[in-house]
Parts: sequence; C-alpha cells; structure tokens
Amino acid sequence: MAVSDGIRQRAATVQRPGLRRARRRNAIAGYAFLAPSLFGVACFLVLPVLVVIWLSFQSWDLISPARWVGLDNYRSVLTDGVFANSLLVTLVFVVIVIPVQTVLGLFAATLLTRGLPGSGVLRTLYVLPWICAPLALGVVWKWIFAPTGGALNAIIGHRVEWLSEPQLALPAVCAVVIWTNVGYVTLFFMAGLLNIPAYLLEAGRLDGAGPAALFWHVKLPLLRPTMFFVLVTSVISTFQIFDQVYALTGGGPQRRTDVVAARIYYEAFESFSFGRAAVMAVILLVILVAITLAQQLYFQRRITYEMD
Amino acid sequence: MKWTRTLLVYLVLLTGAALTLAPFVLSVMTAFKTPEQFARRSSLSWPDPVTLENFGVLLTGRTEFGRAIVITVLAALLLVAGQLLFSIMAAYAFARMRFPGRDALFWVYLSTLMIPAIVLVIPLYLMMAQLGLRNTFWGLVLPFAFASPYATFLLREYFRGIPQDLVDAARLDGANALDVLVEVVVPLSRPIIATVTLITVVSQWNSFLWPRVITTGNDWRPITVATASLQSQYNGNWTLVMAATTLAVVPLLALFLVFQKQIVRSIAITGFK
Amino acid sequence: MAKRSTVIAITVAAAVVIVGAVGAGVAVLGSRDTGGAAGAKGDTTVTVRVWDEQVASAYEQSFQAFEDKNPDIDVKLTVVPWADYWTKLRTDVAGKSAADIFWVNNSYFADYADNGDLLDIDKTLGSDAKSAWAPSVVKQFTRNGSLWGVPQLSDAGIAVYYNKALLKDAGIDPASLENLTWSPDASADTFVPVLQKLTKDAAGHTADDADFDPASVTQYGYNAGNDLQAIYINYIGSNGGTYQDGDRFTFANPKTVEAFQYLVDLMNTYHVAPSAADTNQNGDFSRDQFIQGKMALFQSGLYNLKNVADGADFDWGVASIPAGPEGRVSVTNGIVAAGNAATEHPEATKKVLEWMGSAEGNEFVGASGAAVPAVTDAQPVYRSYWENQGVDTSKFFDVLKNGTIPAPQGANFGAAFGAYGPILEDVFAGRVPVAEGLQKAQDAANAALDG
Repeated sequence: MAVSDGIRQRAATVQRPGLRRARRRNAIAGYAFLAPSLFGVACFLVLPVLVVIWLSFQSWDLISPARWVGLDNYRSVLTDGVFANSLLVTLVFVVIVIPVQTVLGLFAATLLTRGLPGSGVLRTLYVLPWICAPLALGVVWKWIFAPTGGALNAIIGHRVEWLSEPQLALPAVCAVVIWTNVGYVTLFFMAGLLNIPAYLLEAGRLDGAGPAALFWHVKLPLLRPTMFFVLVTSVISTFQIFDQVYALTGGGPQRRTDVVAARIYYEAFESFSFGRAAVMAVILLVILVAITLAQQLYFQRRITYEMD
Repeated sequence: MKWTRTLLVYLVLLTGAALTLAPFVLSVMTAFKTPEQFARRSSLSWPDPVTLENFGVLLTGRTEFGRAIVITVLAALLLVAGQLLFSIMAAYAFARMRFPGRDALFWVYLSTLMIPAIVLVIPLYLMMAQLGLRNTFWGLVLPFAFASPYATFLLREYFRGIPQDLVDAARLDGANALDVLVEVVVPLSRPIIATVTLITVVSQWNSFLWPRVITTGNDWRPITVATASLQSQYNGNWTLVMAATTLAVVPLLALFLVFQKQIVRSIAITGFK
Repeated sequence: MAKRSTVIAITVAAAVVIVGAVGAGVAVLGSRDTGGAAGAKGDTTVTVRVWDEQVASAYEQSFQAFEDKNPDIDVKLTVVPWADYWTKLRTDVAGKSAADIFWVNNSYFADYADNGDLLDIDKTLGSDAKSAWAPSVVKQFTRNGSLWGVPQLSDAGIAVYYNKALLKDAGIDPASLENLTWSPDASADTFVPVLQKLTKDAAGHTADDADFDPASVTQYGYNAGNDLQAIYINYIGSNGGTYQDGDRFTFANPKTVEAFQYLVDLMNTYHVAPSAADTNQNGDFSRDQFIQGKMALFQSGLYNLKNVADGADFDWGVASIPAGPEGRVSVTNGIVAAGNAATEHPEATKKVLEWMGSAEGNEFVGASGAAVPAVTDAQPVYRSYWENQGVDTSKFFDVLKNGTIPAPQGANFGAAFGAYGPILEDVFAGRVPVAEGLQKAQDAANAALDG
C-alpha cells in the first residue's frame, strides 16, 4: 500500500509541469493503443481500395505486363452487357429474396412470440442455416437439386433439372438464400415484437381490435425500425452474395444467376481480366456506399421526425 | 377453438423446422451410406449398412481433410486472438482516450464497413502475391489478423456505455490508461467480448472467398475450400461430398449447441454475418 | 497493482501460447513430405504438380526411386484437381508460387511458352533428348521451333467400353459393334437403332418403344455429350469437319454443325444419352453411370481404363468407335511435364526432368496401368500390364491408323474456352439451335483470342 501511495504521489508531481505535456503523452498512448489495428485498416482495407481503383485503369491478364488503358475498361464493362446482366440478376435476386424472407420471418416471429412452450428451441433451429458455412450448405443444396441422385427429385418422383433449366435456376438459388436467412430475420422480428409495450396491445384490444387489426394497426407500425434495419442489411448482403452461387450454379445457365460478386470473381480469377474485374468492383462499391448513405439520411430524418 | 388454433400454430412451426432441418438430415444420412447403396437405391433411403468409409477416405486419403481442419482451426485461433486483442485496444482508444484525429480515424473505420469482401479480394491477392505470400498460411491470415473495424465498432459502443465514474475512480487511484482498460473496462465488458469472439470464430470458420483465391491445392486450404474443390473433383460422388459438408458444418453446429443462447443473443445484438 | 500485472502477464502468456502453437502447427504442416531420412537439412526440394490421382500414385513410386539415387534432392508432388488446375496455374505462375515442374496439356501450354514461363527443353536437356519420346507428343508440344515439356503420357486414341451383360440382354453381339456407322444422313446410319435398343426407362421400355418415357431413363445407351476429347472432336473429325485452323476456331463449318446436330439429337431427340443437365458440368457423370452398370456403351480413352477396370464389377470389353462418313477418326493427345523458367533450383529441376523423361523414371506410369508412358521404351510395360489383366488395348491404338484430328491448341486457349464453353453447354442442352449456337461460339472464341 505504501509503495503504491508513493507511486501515486510521484505520478501527481510528474503531471504538474504542464497540461501540454500530459496531453502529448495521452496522444502518444492513444496512438499506441490504436497502432496495430490502424496498421491493419490502412494496409488491408484502405490501401486495397486505392489499388483496385488504380487497377481499373489497367489492362492486365496476370502474366503479361500491366498496361495503362485509361477508361477503356469502364467503356467495355458498361457497354458489353455482361455486367448489366449481372446487375439485373442481382436486382432480381433482391426483389425475390427480400420480400419472401421478410414475410416468412415476420410470420414465424408472430407465431413464436405467442408464449407457446418450445418456442425457444424452434427459434434456435431456425437459425441453424445462418450459422453454417454458406459454401458447405450450397454444396448440400447442389446435391438436393441434382437431377440424378438428388433428394428433391426423389421426393417429388419426377425429373426436374433445377439448376440447369434457365427458368428454374434463379428461383432455386433464391430459395436456398431464403432458407438460409429466414431464421435470422425471424430473430430480429421476435426482438422487435417482444419490445412492444404490453399496454399498447392492451389498449388496442380494449378498442375492440381483433388479432388481425392488432397486427396491422399496432404491431406493424411499431416494428418499423426493425423492419428498416432488416431490409437494409438484407439488401446489402444480397448485393454481395457469392458462396451459394459459386457452389450451386457458377453463374449459369446462360448467366441467369451470374450475380455481381460472382461475375467479379470469374472476370478476375478465371478469365484473368483484372482491369475489368476492378471496374466492376469499383461500381459495386459505389452502389453499396450509395445504399448505405441513403439509409443513413433516411434514418436521421426518421429519428427527428419521430422525436417531434 | 383455442386449442385447434394452437395446434395449427405448432403445425406451421414444425413444418418450418422440418424444412429447415431436412437438408442437414438428408446430407448426413448420405454421408453414412456406401457409394453402392447410393447408386442402387433411392437417395432418401436410410443408410444400410451405416459406413464410415466416406469419412475415412476424406481424412486419410489424398484429399487431406484432416489437414484442412487443422488449418481452419489454426487460422481461426490466430485471427480470433489478433482481432480481439487489437480491436479491444483500438476500441478503448476510440472510446476513452483523447488524441488528435481520433474522430476522423473512427469515421474511416466506419466507412470501411461498407467495403464488400469481393472488392478487397482482388487487390489483396495482388499485394500478397507481391509479398511472396501466395499459398502460404501467413498469406491466408495476414490481411485479417490486425483489425476488424466491425469488432472495434461494437466494442467501442459498449465501452462508451461504461459509467465514467468507474473510470474516474480508477484514475484517481493513479491508474493509467492500460490499468483502466485491464482492470475496469475489460472485466465489465465480458458479454460483448464473448459476442465478438463468437462472431469471429463463426465467420472465420465459414470464410471461403479469400482462402479460395489465395491457396492452391491441399497445402493451406481450409475446410470450405477443401469442400468446394472436392465437389468439383468428385462430381457425382455424393456420399463422399456429403461427408465433406458434414465435416465442414458439424464443428460449428456443436459450437452452436453449446453456446446457442449467447450466439442467438449475439446475432440479435449485432446482426452479424 | 498485482491484479493488473497478473492480467497482463496472462494476456501476454496467452498471446505467446497462441502464436507459438499456431506457428508450431504451421511449421509442422509446412514440413510434410520433406520428413524422413531424405529430408535432411540442406536438401533441395523440387516441387511437381499434376492433376491426375492415378498417375500421381505412380509418380510417388518413381520419385521415391529418384530420391534413392539422388539423396540431396527431395521431390514434393502436389495434385491440383483438373477443375482448378488451369486457373490456379495461372495465378501461381504470376505469383511466382508455381511448382518447379508442372503438367501442361496441348490446349494450355502455348500461353506459358509464349510468355517465357517454361524451360525450353531443347536447351535444358539437349535437342537429342527428344528422340526417346513419342513423336506425336513431341510434335504436339513443339512451338516456334522448340519443345516445351518432357513428354509424360500419351493418350493413344478413343474407343468404346461396353457392358457385356447389357449388350446380351438387348440381343446385340459385341462383334457387331465394329460394323456400326453413324451418319448425319439417317438412311446411312446404323448406330442410332442399336443405341435405342440399349436404352431403357424405369418401366423397361427401350428407347424405340412408343411408350418409352425419357424422363425416367434407368439405362443409357451411350455417352454423347459435352466432352471434347472423348466425343465431339472425334465426331467432327469423322464427318470431315474442323475444330480449329491454326489457332483460330472454325466450329461453324457445315460438317462440324452436322456432327454436333447428330450428338444433340442422340441426347435430346432419341434420349439414348444422359441429359446435358447431368453431363455439361460433370465430366465424370457418364463414366460413373457406366461403372455402376447403368450405361451400355461408354466412349472414352485409355485415361479411363484404370478407373473402369478398378470400378466395374461386371464383364466389359472394348470396341472401336463408330465409323463416320469419313471413317473412324480419333483425336490423340499427350501430356508433358514442363519446367518452370522461374525455378529457384534449375540444376535439381533439370535432374528431375531428366528422370521423368527416362524410360526408367517414366515406366512407373505404365507399370500400374495408369496411363500410356510417352517415353517410347517405357511403353511395352503398359501393354504387358493390361495383357496380364486380360485387357486388350489394341482398339485404342488401331483407331489412329485411319486418321487423326488435331487436339485443340494455341495461345489464349483458356480465354477462348471460357468464352465458348457456356455456349456449347447451351447447344447440348438444346437451348439454342446447333448452327446458330456454333456460329456464336466460334465468334466468341475468336474474339477472346484477340483479347
């Protein structure tokens, strides 16, 4: 005790000579704490973005020397229709996956928040696919969909070529993504529903609202922030979907499932058109930044609105 | 009337559970079948006889799944340790220390959350190739060992919620920044640290894109890459492939069963993926 | 303050333990294949990469023999599956992490040769060395006057494996397979009726029966499909069509269109072959069906002989491929071991290449029956292996006497294949008319060549 008192006194005397020195020491300590992490962020997050932008102006196939081509890559990516197709496919993905998983998740959440025994176990079960490697589950589903020896055709007793029929491949991949995500979405809606104050529901009931009216006029409006969060995170993650597509279809048939991330991967690591892949990456980044900023703006406005 | 309703609810919920579980059950069943049974009988039949043959081939044969599992574990271990330690330090600096440029740097951290993995993979691949780290363990882990802006963000939010009084009290006791972090902040932040750990373990175990790009052959590939390349190599040998997916998924399922409350809560807190 | 130091000590200790354990683990993982007596310090390690498991097992023995003679050199063999082989080779060559010696085939070697990534074998081993190797393979891998790899395997030609029991059930004499003719002119074609008899649905109807249900086929007649080496290039050749002229692609010529039309009809009109959904992306589907006794005729090369012999638990035989309007025309193909021009151990690499190109080193490949050695003096071992197994391999060699069609080749083949491959998949799936699809495929392939 005596020793530590001594140290404390010494510490106090050292600090006295000036606020500036103390501040400088604080700053040094702050940077020291930050240093390893900052190194990682600078080298492996910020620098790569600069590299990818630089790369988007190069023509490079990995083995011959890189060549500056100005805007040629941008021109070819924006005009040859391949990337436009990928953007369209990704958009269709968003349009199919998000409404379905949101509705299913909301539905499951309302059933699971009725206080029935076993709800906790079921909730846990529903989240299982979300925890597991999307790649491994993609491979599992590839087998399930396999036209010969696959489980699904054995169940329906009829041969359907799920993943190679152009009309079926995209819905099939969407189904896998939805299957993966529903449990996750359910969790959030459960949390949202359980946060609704009981007195509001009680007041609704006293006003004579039935279960349906209660859902549409009380619960749903109160779930808006949850809904918003779920939608935004789902849109962002759907834009980045890769593993399942890689495992299930590789982007085929006829590029019907060639989502943006898969296209970037194949341009870079199978066709070795690094410049084109970099252009696509830059465009994807711009899209995601735009979505995030729009969300931020909307969110800020909402909060002020709700506070009024 | 009321009980039929309850029955209906259970029916719907159990159907959902069945649909969720069916792919797991079917794939594990297939993993325990002999290739002969798979070829000759319905793919829905029970394994008869139950065989470990497929797992044996994976673990002892040329596919070296045992090696892939070891690599996955080592990489996850290192990345969890690195990300956790450095993110706690960074989060503490952001939450509790004063230095010029702090807020600007934090803003940079937040911005990096918007960068999708596929955008990073191309330049990182080129950088690692330049450093001669292609197809090495260090190339696999280096880019992710130092920082996780997401973990930093989560931890910072939590650290800021710790009452200033506790920090001041320690300060008055003569504690410096490190003392405060070690004695006050970390002990009070166990739940969020557990959450961040679980998030990191799960996401490292499942990561595929980067390992797929940076590794070649069996040398340093983790289990996801091993599974994917097995699928393309033994296309149609579904008993073997399902044994591989089982190996890739089961350790996480076990982790999930042990920590399911924490994991479910972690997802709910953070929305992690 | 004791508490703080304890915590820090624990943290530091934990960090040291984790980093140490991971480092030790990595060190152990990284040291494989160099262990044992041969792995003493100061040894040079030469890495070799191939895509075939069967041949890899033979190589293991061959390299063991090499290491016994050269104790200061370790040879480390890696198998990278075919599906990843070419993309990973490219990234590895670019990242300077390619093996010292790696297999290349006719389609892909030109890029690397043109870029200076491969050792010029004439300079490395001397230009006399090639006299020991199969001339067809040497010729295939000579570009701009130099040989770019040490010949390792020679695929001979293509033939048809048949399931004796299934033929007998259909009342077809195996000897009659030698007289079959395919033709775009239906009146001259004797192949389709035989295949129809050999194809059955779940109810037991054969494909020429009006009640035949193509959605429930349980026994396929044949493996027409998207398989360059075993199927379509031979059909192109035996119809007098062309695949390439120099490095340019020429699929859209009328004879080639006829050949593809015939194959697509076998699949989608007569339903005597598995659907494109099964075979387009799974090169082994048909082989597996044959081995499981669910396919009567399986056209392939010697590269599948070992698989068939090991896998099939029924009696089988080998027949010639059906003759086309131009007779029987087959592709023949070789594989070479190329030296990495960027190797850090040029001397040791040269020694290993020399060994691989010697009869003694190459014989292992033939001794297990895995593949035909490309070193001429090592070839008898292969034939005698299969003679001892009671298998006559002559059909695979005889087919070459009538005529051959060159295997694909040229710079930028990977990019071209990436461009036309998906279009051919559409053609085989019947999603695009054949002539239109092949024209598109040709245009796409040639556009990709031009980069």
